[in-house]
Amino acid sequence: MSHNKAYIAVVGTIFAAAAAVLDFFPRSAYSELEKRELSAFPVFSADSLRSGAFTRAVSAWFSDTEPFRDAFMTFSMKLKDWQRLRTGAGRVTFHAAEPVAAAGATADSAAVGGPQPAVVDENARIVNSGGIVIAGEGGRIRGLVAFGGGTAGCKAYADAANLYAETFGPSVRVYLMVIPTAIEFYCPPSAARCTRPQRPVIEEAHARLAHGVRAVDVYPVLQAHAGEDIYLRTDHHWAPLGAYYAAREFARVAGVAFRGLDAYERRVVRRYVGSMYGYSREIGFKDAPEDFVFYVPHETSYTTTYVDYTVDDSFRITAESRPHGGPFFQRYRDGSSGAYCTFMGSDKRLTKVETSAPGGRRLLILKDSFGNALPGYLFYSFEEIHVVDSRYFLKNMKAYVAENDITDILFANNIFKASSPATYRNYVRFLSQPGTVPPRPAAPPADAADAHEAAPAAGLPAETAAGNDSITAS
Amino acid sequence: MVFSDLFFLYVFLPAFALCYAAAGAADRLRRSPEGAPACSVRNLTLTLFSLVFYAWGEPVYVFLMLFCVAMNYAAGLLVDRCTRRRRAALAAGVAGNVAVLGLFKYAGFACRSLAALGLDLPEPHIALPIGISFYTFQSISYLVDVYRREAPCQRRLGGLLLYISMFPQLIAGPIVRYDAVAREITQRRASAADVADGVFRFLVGLGKKVVLANQLSEISTAFLAGGAPASTLAAWTGIAAFTLQIYFDFSGYSDMAIGLGRCLGFHFPENFRHPYCCTSVTDFWRRWHISLGSFFRDYVYIPMGGNRRHQGLNIMTVWLLTGLWHGASWNFVLWGLWFGVIVTLEKYTLLRVAQRIPRVLLHVYSLTLVVAGWGLFYFEDFAAMHAFFAAICGLTGDAADFAARSALTDSFWLWVAALLCCLPLRRAAATLADCLPGGRLLRAPAAVLAARLVLSVALLAASTALLVGATNNAFIYTRF
Repeated sequence: MSHNKAYIAVVGTIFAAAAAVLDFFPRSAYSELEKRELSAFPVFSADSLRSGAFTRAVSAWFSDTEPFRDAFMTFSMKLKDWQRLRTGAGRVTFHAAEPVAAAGATADSAAVGGPQPAVVDENARIVNSGGIVIAGEGGRIRGLVAFGGGTAGCKAYADAANLYAETFGPSVRVYLMVIPTAIEFYCPPSAARCTRPQRPVIEEAHARLAHGVRAVDVYPVLQAHAGEDIYLRTDHHWAPLGAYYAAREFARVAGVAFRGLDAYERRVVRRYVGSMYGYSREIGFKDAPEDFVFYVPHETSYTTTYVDYTVDDSFRITAESRPHGGPFFQRYRDGSSGAYCTFMGSDKRLTKVETSAPGGRRLLILKDSFGNALPGYLFYSFEEIHVVDSRYFLKNMKAYVAENDITDILFANNIFKASSPATYRNYVRFLSQPGTVPPRPAAPPADAADAHEAAPAAGLPAETAAGNDSITAS
Repeated sequence: MVFSDLFFLYVFLPAFALCYAAAGAADRLRRSPEGAPACSVRNLTLTLFSLVFYAWGEPVYVFLMLFCVAMNYAAGLLVDRCTRRRRAALAAGVAGNVAVLGLFKYAGFACRSLAALGLDLPEPHIALPIGISFYTFQSISYLVDVYRREAPCQRRLGGLLLYISMFPQLIAGPIVRYDAVAREITQRRASAADVADGVFRFLVGLGKKVVLANQLSEISTAFLAGGAPASTLAAWTGIAAFTLQIYFDFSGYSDMAIGLGRCLGFHFPENFRHPYCCTSVTDFWRRWHISLGSFFRDYVYIPMGGNRRHQGLNIMTVWLLTGLWHGASWNFVLWGLWFGVIVTLEKYTLLRVAQRIPRVLLHVYSLTLVVAGWGLFYFEDFAAMHAFFAAICGLTGDAADFAARSALTDSFWLWVAALLCCLPLRRAAATLADCLPGGRLLRAPAAVLAARLVLSVALLAASTALLVGATNNAFIYTRF
């Protein structure tokens, strides 16, 4: 056999084998790495064929659902890691965000309108910011999402709290907690200019609060404990321990009882690798898993009731379930990348926890996924805790507060979400929405724009099946 | 559909290879009177797959391409058969192609430009058909070659359809002139050496595109697409990445096209010859997109008089058209004229004394102007272009920033690989092998085969892995 024929035979065989695997093996349906459902085969229509959308979607589906997708992506991450220059010095690198089309910001601004156009414009820029700073190597690697918001970014968020205080009057105490993110405390000096300071943004929000709204300033509390594991290294969320310190500060401001960690059982999900792995596609995160440590109260009894929401591709609620019971703390096995969903399991639900705490105080928490870690520390403090996600709530807020005799409302969002105009818009809408599943509009609704806006700048998935949401959405 | 798409690689290409092999077997049973195997079944297969390939991305505009083929088929017959009005027939055919190109590529640009001058014309919103610049130029080459009697008129509509629509070079070149492949349309044979070389060339091109260009595009996009660069280093990093990206993107496509052609028995012209090793801008254009340069030379520059009369005008016309060919935007016009002026100046200055200047200075000079040219090329928005040039000259922003430094160290070996791949590596390896004590062993066919196999499999594996979930996969030149 000539050398040419040998070459053709070997390469041809390998190519045929690869084609057989990629074409005929079962296709991937879910990416553990990116924590999202993969594309479905597109629905055929004459219009989509004519416009080219169908064929484009078929190609995208084929690429998105390759058999062994995560293994391929892990290999590609290793390839990228090999390209890095290893100097031996402490590693600090930056994953730039993909630029977002200006149209997104324009659509967002147009959709919001309202009384704070300057705020809206500034917030729109936050959504377009992004990038991930990666600091450290090996077991000390940490992913930090860069913050691009200006000092006025959370003013609308404060206005929402003011509006709630004005709406519900003195019978309901309103609190505002802007949760700083990890980059504020762990950003290496060399990368300091990749992000903007969060402290002035929080102070500006606090300064804007009306008389009836109390600030829960968790910034200095978290700063004081920055040497502990209060933020996850491999995830964009804080760690349950960080939420503990924040809950303690809230209890102090609210004047309710609070129990220390000795009243909790410490549980651990080992080998946890969070969202930063998929977001940055940095193999170092996979190679350096961490412990996900959370605390379950064991000296009180409580029951949890959920109302689940069904959401369509545009993040519009299409149906809600009947109330049903379930565990507040979900169980995840060691190595599971969904461990942050330990608390309530999903954002797409309304949660009500009835505790045995005395005092008659009933708390409503308006939150994103950062806020999920808070309620578990308040079972000793409030008789009832209601948890509403800022994206998924179907009922009329005025009626809900009245029906459940809510005495305290806590706005608890991370600074990205607190800077998003969609958060303000949603909280205002909650007060007036009819409380039923809305009919599906013919044109893309404003909420669809919210969902797009909530999609993070770095090309990150906007929503995940496990309810663990994206950076700016959470 | 593009070559660096998993659907193309693992669905379209295997299906085509199987059908084409079966068609080859059918052709061998139907030998021509001269004993050579006919090509009709293979041609039919290739044409059908080419139409599917094009329609996959342009389900409506495939009919525009078919219309162009029919128009050129008729024009070609007229040019060939007319004895007295051949020139008029040629002019009509060329005008038809230019009209199609003008309508679908330049109408919106013309209206916007006239509107800027105060003429309020409604702007037609016509999407640019993929590859229209390539296939209209190939059509013009066909008509002119027939007119000049440099190639026979294609009497079968299917033959011309195959020439225009052939998927290996349909959407991003090289611009294959009709006389180069006229004979191979009806008579061709792909030997084992052709197929082996073609497969290897295809995989090298795939690697250039996926491993190098796609990753470099992430860097160039990060520093150039988001407004004014944050620092001088960021501007240089961005434009350096784009300089390498566009080369590996386009030359990668050309390699894949040439490789696929070789596997089918076609011999397409080379399109690149290590352009970043140039010693002048004139030299750069002898090495970059060679098929476009030779098209303009043979079909525009020389017919206009070449260097025999009003050479300056001829040069500037060619460069204006070169710029416009790349895109319907003023920055492309500026880019073309930039090179037109430099090439003209070099003719009377640098090229006369180049022998006496150290080569390293010539390289630095040439690359500086070429890279500056990519700055003109990249930014369609003049405000962004101004901000970029201000940053690259150190007039705004800091000297360096963390993100730019990070892009250099995080992708360090990518930069090294990209720079090395700009050099004539194969020649360097052969020279090195000759110098080494065991060099003869390294040049032995078995060693070459082993090296080829390892490189081919590595490129296929790396490209496949990097393409899973990839989003920035379009070729730059497909939009021209």
